[in-house]
Amino acid sequence: MLTIRNITRIFNKGTINEKIALNGVSLELAKGDFVTVIGSNGAGKSTLLNAVAGNFSVDAGEIFIEGTNVTKLPQHKRAEFISRVFQDPMLGTAASMTIEENMVMARRRGHHRRLRKAITSKDRTVLMQELKKLGLGLEARLTNRVSLLSGGQRQALTLLMATLQTPKLLLLDEHTAALDPKTADKVLELTRSVAEASHLTTFMVTHNLEHALNIGNRTIMMHEGRIILDISGDERAGMTIEGLLEMFGKASGKHLVNDKMLLA
Amino acid sequence: MSWQILSGTLEQGLMYAVMVVGVYLTFRVLNYADLSVDGSFTLGAAIAATLIVSGYNPWLATGAAFAGGVMAGIFTGVLHTKFKITPLLSGILTMTALYSINLRVMGKANISLLNTRTIFTDFTKLPFLEDYSVMVLSLVTVIIIGFFVYRFLLTEVGLALRATGDNELMIQSQGVNIEIMKIMGLAISNGLVAFAGSYVAQNQQFADAGMGIGMIIAGLASVIIGEVLIGTSSIGRTVAAVIFGGVMYRVIIALVLQMGLKPTDLKMVTAFIVIIALVSPGIKNKVFSLRDRAGAVKGESHADNP
Ligand SMILES: Nc1ncnc2c1ncn2[C@@H]1O[C@H](COP(=O)(O)OP(=O)(O)OP(=O)(O)O)[C@@H](O)[C@H]1O
Ligand SMILES: [Mg+2]
Repeated sequence: MLTIRNITRIFNKGTINEKIALNGVSLELAKGDFVTVIGSNGAGKSTLLNAVAGNFSVDAGEIFIEGTNVTKLPQHKRAEFISRVFQDPMLGTAASMTIEENMVMARRRGHHRRLRKAITSKDRTVLMQELKKLGLGLEARLTNRVSLLSGGQRQALTLLMATLQTPKLLLLDEHTAALDPKTADKVLELTRSVAEASHLTTFMVTHNLEHALNIGNRTIMMHEGRIILDISGDERAGMTIEGLLEMFGKASGKHLVNDKMLLA
Repeated sequence: MSWQILSGTLEQGLMYAVMVVGVYLTFRVLNYADLSVDGSFTLGAAIAATLIVSGYNPWLATGAAFAGGVMAGIFTGVLHTKFKITPLLSGILTMTALYSINLRVMGKANISLLNTRTIFTDFTKLPFLEDYSVMVLSLVTVIIIGFFVYRFLLTEVGLALRATGDNELMIQSQGVNIEIMKIMGLAISNGLVAFAGSYVAQNQQFADAGMGIGMIIAGLASVIIGEVLIGTSSIGRTVAAVIFGGVMYRVIIALVLQMGLKPTDLKMVTAFIVIIALVSPGIKNKVFSLRDRAGAVKGESHADNP
């Protein structure tokens, strides 16, 4: 489904600020895989997701989505395959536009935009039904501007928008980190259910080790631009948070007294 | 104010309102301060006047003015998107280049259209319209253009254009090429501005190389006046607001002239209108609330937003 072959990304190449954010990362995802990604700050998790989404080109290596080589494709062309939810709830929606306008834009992700009225009354009925799934009462607020919504509501809406048109790949970068614990749980539950319902291949970056182990079927740990741990199946089922920290210590050569570094 | 002055003011206001709709498309919809406007307004006047005195049909000349503006907008857009020049500088470059181009087009600093056939003289031939031809034609034009812009902003393409001005990352991740959107927005905007320029030249019966100077600030002032007086609660309302703002701006200018200021003082008055709008907290909140939110998205400080 997703094949990442030896990708390298160097920021500020040739300057004193040179930073190898991705150092020869390779990864193979099967269809329907739900991978949680953990690692300390600056490990390269966001850079990996951004490289897949096409925010920038990689310095070396190749990326394939369902056999299509997307390495050279700009971000807007990869949108045909990829949906995203960002850490910052402000980033996933257009604040000055209404809920329904945001939704219909997402519904045509990766499709040609036409000179045709974007929202008909028939669309409204469909959008309302979709919004009801969130259980946040947003179905009554179709024509409200998104700027009126709370961070949690916006994030839930972004997640819903990401699945209005089933993506081949769903990229979630700490998408619950900016939310209060209760809202975060709700959005996470929603994530789990939409991913399951449509069998989405998903990447989820998180600093919550419990979530990392409980959600999805596979966990990878990154450190200094490399994948230093990749567990699934029985190995993952038997894994504990302590175990993860120990693995991190071994693999990175650092001794961690607690999980602060991974959770930070 | 005498009826004659008032009707002349309203006529002008309706023509300039077309220009204001163009400025609204870049300044508000795309969130792009485009200074090409000063040059493209004159370009429209220059193209129309030159073609008309060369014997071309004035309607064709007006259409050609629109096309010329579109080209100017595309030029600015390409400078910005392909060559990564900042919005302000891209606009200034186009505006500067257009100054020479406009003189080339006209062949001299001004062209008189006295006693030539224009789109307005065509209308005076119709019954009952002798005295109101300019008013009626300008009104019909601005209503049609306002309607089309309104409908356009609610199409799928229109939504993508608006989102480009609101949140680039978001609309790119929805598969939209924001470079194309920006070029398209600038093209339509400058097309409308040049179109308005051709109307103004035909109405005042001359085109002048300096007639576009300060047009962007007049456009901004009009947008702000309209938004404050009418509001921006929906797209339809906002488009109506900027058109109304364009007319109101001319009325304010006429009043200022009546108070005894000289026409040469007008640019200063306009600048002050914009400055007042920018610094007075009440108006600022109302007008810039959307912009500030967009700023917050991009991680800019919005500490100045009370
Ligand atoms: N645009 C950029 N320019 C320069 N350096 C960058 C850029 N983006 C990321 N980096 C650097 O690359 C490294 C990896 O950053 P990245 O954002 O991928 O980390 P992360 O694993 O997502 O961390 P966090 O958990 O804090 O989000 C960091 O050292 C970071 O400073
Ligand atoms: Mg990150």
